Amino acid sequence: MPDWTFLMFLNTDLLVATVRLSTPITLAALGATVCEKAGVVNIAMEGIMIIGAFFAAVTAFYTGNPWLGLAAGVAAGGIYSLIHAVATISLHLDHVVSGAVLNILAFGITRYLMVLFFGHPGTSDAIPSFLGDYQFAVPFLSKIPVLGPVFFNQTPIIYISFFLVIFLSWFLKYTKTGLHIRAAGEHPLALETIGVSVYRIKYLAVFISGLASGLAGAYLSIENNVSFTEGMTNGKGFIALAAMISGGWSALGSFLSALFFGFADALQVRLQIFRVFHVPEELFIIFPYAATIIAVAGLVKRSRPPKADGVDFIIEKENE
Amino acid sequence: MSRNLISGNSLPLRKYCDILSGFLIAGGAVFYLGSSFLGLIPLASGAALYLFIIFYFEGREKGAGAVKKHMSRLAVPVIGIVSAVFFGAIIMLLTGYDPVRSYAALFYGGFVKNWYVSVLNATPLIFTGLSIAFAFKAGLFNIGAEGQYYIGAMAGAWLGLTLDLSPLLSIMLIYIGGSFIASLWNFIPALLKVKTGAHEVITTMMFAHIARYLSPIFIRAFGGDPATSSHAYVTYEIPQSNWLLSFRAFIPDANYRLHTGILIAVATAFFVNYMLNNSKTGFEIRAVGFNRDAARVQGISIGKNIFIAMMAAGALAGMAGITQVLGLDHKLFENLQAGYGWNGISVALLASNHPIGVIFTSLLWGALDAGGQYMARTTNTPNSIVEIIKGIMLFLIVAKYIYIYAVKFIKKKRRGGNA
Repeated sequence: MPDWTFLMFLNTDLLVATVRLSTPITLAALGATVCEKAGVVNIAMEGIMIIGAFFAAVTAFYTGNPWLGLAAGVAAGGIYSLIHAVATISLHLDHVVSGAVLNILAFGITRYLMVLFFGHPGTSDAIPSFLGDYQFAVPFLSKIPVLGPVFFNQTPIIYISFFLVIFLSWFLKYTKTGLHIRAAGEHPLALETIGVSVYRIKYLAVFISGLASGLAGAYLSIENNVSFTEGMTNGKGFIALAAMISGGWSALGSFLSALFFGFADALQVRLQIFRVFHVPEELFIIFPYAATIIAVAGLVKRSRPPKADGVDFIIEKENE
Repeated sequence: MSRNLISGNSLPLRKYCDILSGFLIAGGAVFYLGSSFLGLIPLASGAALYLFIIFYFEGREKGAGAVKKHMSRLAVPVIGIVSAVFFGAIIMLLTGYDPVRSYAALFYGGFVKNWYVSVLNATPLIFTGLSIAFAFKAGLFNIGAEGQYYIGAMAGAWLGLTLDLSPLLSIMLIYIGGSFIASLWNFIPALLKVKTGAHEVITTMMFAHIARYLSPIFIRAFGGDPATSSHAYVTYEIPQSNWLLSFRAFIPDANYRLHTGILIAVATAFFVNYMLNNSKTGFEIRAVGFNRDAARVQGISIGKNIFIAMMAAGALAGMAGITQVLGLDHKLFENLQAGYGWNGISVALLASNHPIGVIFTSLLWGALDAGGQYMARTTNTPNSIVEIIKGIMLFLIVAKYIYIYAVKFIKKKRRGGNA
């Protein structure tokens, strides 16, 4: 006879935790969506996130201001992603290879800088003030039962992620630049023919994905946590990739899939704490990873990637 | 000219020379990998003999052509390595460390003083590198080799603890059974790839995380007891009859930890190379990786070959774990950040997925790690600079287009200068 008392933990808190755990996945998945819409495959989110997380934590630690940390994390992610842009767009390197190299390089850079800034590898010293302190309830909306506390009583980067989901959905669909980004991924030659530089659009898209992943990293180290830990992304960059795919390469779909993965994670933590089933705790930890595989396997057939996704684009200019 | 002088018996003589040079190279390599530097003498003389054979029997022109071919193949890696060392020096200078002393310690530690550590580091890397290179040949990215490594290590420990036959037989069975189990870890990703098109980067990666968390469960089931601190996260030791032979058995002053797994790794690399280039399956796998549509037109089954490549990749990565358990540790530690899978990606890319190249890049990676540790002990430079140097090296070697640009640029300049 199972112990049914755990059912009392299927409450609003579970949903609040779902949103918190899904935020980094949402942000990275949004970045990946923009990037792949422009035809550049990006598996470097894991590495960009860890770079963003590190620089956010270092800046917040030395200035004492988490908002500067936020800016630094976003900027570092953007700058680091430019390496991916140069490698894949200008140097015509295979996108997956470049992403893998950047993930490896990010690990090395943060490890070296950890020693340089904090004198030891592993976990950084705690930052004096973190963004989790800036939790605020939106007036009126936060009074709605269940949805209020879940969506409207959160911390800053979570609100930014909600805004980005809406903004990027609109941006990709209704703006000229958004159209160009989609064209770069579907039919780059047509875009080039009408006089828009495909390279420039792709650079922009990769840079946006870097900013978003950097923000995801900052969330991990200075909002959801008070310090940076090596490897704290723990596969979230790849789960974000899965969220993007099962979300059908759309901003809203990515968000919904990310919520699902966040829910799996939140549930896992609770099952582990309350030992609902008498099995080793590690079996709970693997639950979100298994859920990711199932989601990708089940939904991949229904979603379609941009036509020229991951395809190298070379234009031969006559005067060269 | 020279060919005419010995025209009658040129073929047998050539054959003897080939065998002799091969024997010298192989024997020298065994001793060199066993950390006996005397092995370099037969190794170098065998290589010299090999060169001589080409020049003597095939004429100067052909010999020069062969040398040139090898040199041009090495040009990009060598330029990449040298520039990465240079950039590493700049980073050290900028962050206040002495590059000359650091590099002296790094290379002395990695290639001379602690060469045996480099070889130990390289052993699992060769297997994981081969795994990733093999999958790449079929156009697949086995990014989750780390997971198959864990599964292989668990399977190796399990079979090592339970099998008790004659040593050679049980070691062979452990390798066969263990790599089979590890290949099964890629079964679902392979199936999903073929049936639904789910990308292997995501599925194998998720399976890698799952394997990581399964290992503590396994360790607890086989002797690891969190209640006792002395034996907390380690399995029982496997019986000595199931250990791999140590180099000490025939090189008395080799380090006691240095085991002959490296020889299995090198042999596997040659085997994989042979299979890829000389078997029907190897040809089909390369065809699928090279151009899927063209392969389909030729009547090659895409699904079947993707399946084979994924399973083989899993088995190869699993062999890394088996070798580590049977050769080095003799038990399974809870080591959640082993990193052989990730570094396997690097060595495969560095070698541009050439199985023989993987041996050398793994030794280089192993030496950088071993040298980095030595450097951190003897100078105040942190070990982690090695990770950055490795990253830069990797980037400069895989981004081959840089050199195409550079060559174009130089040519343009030259043309401009002449005009």
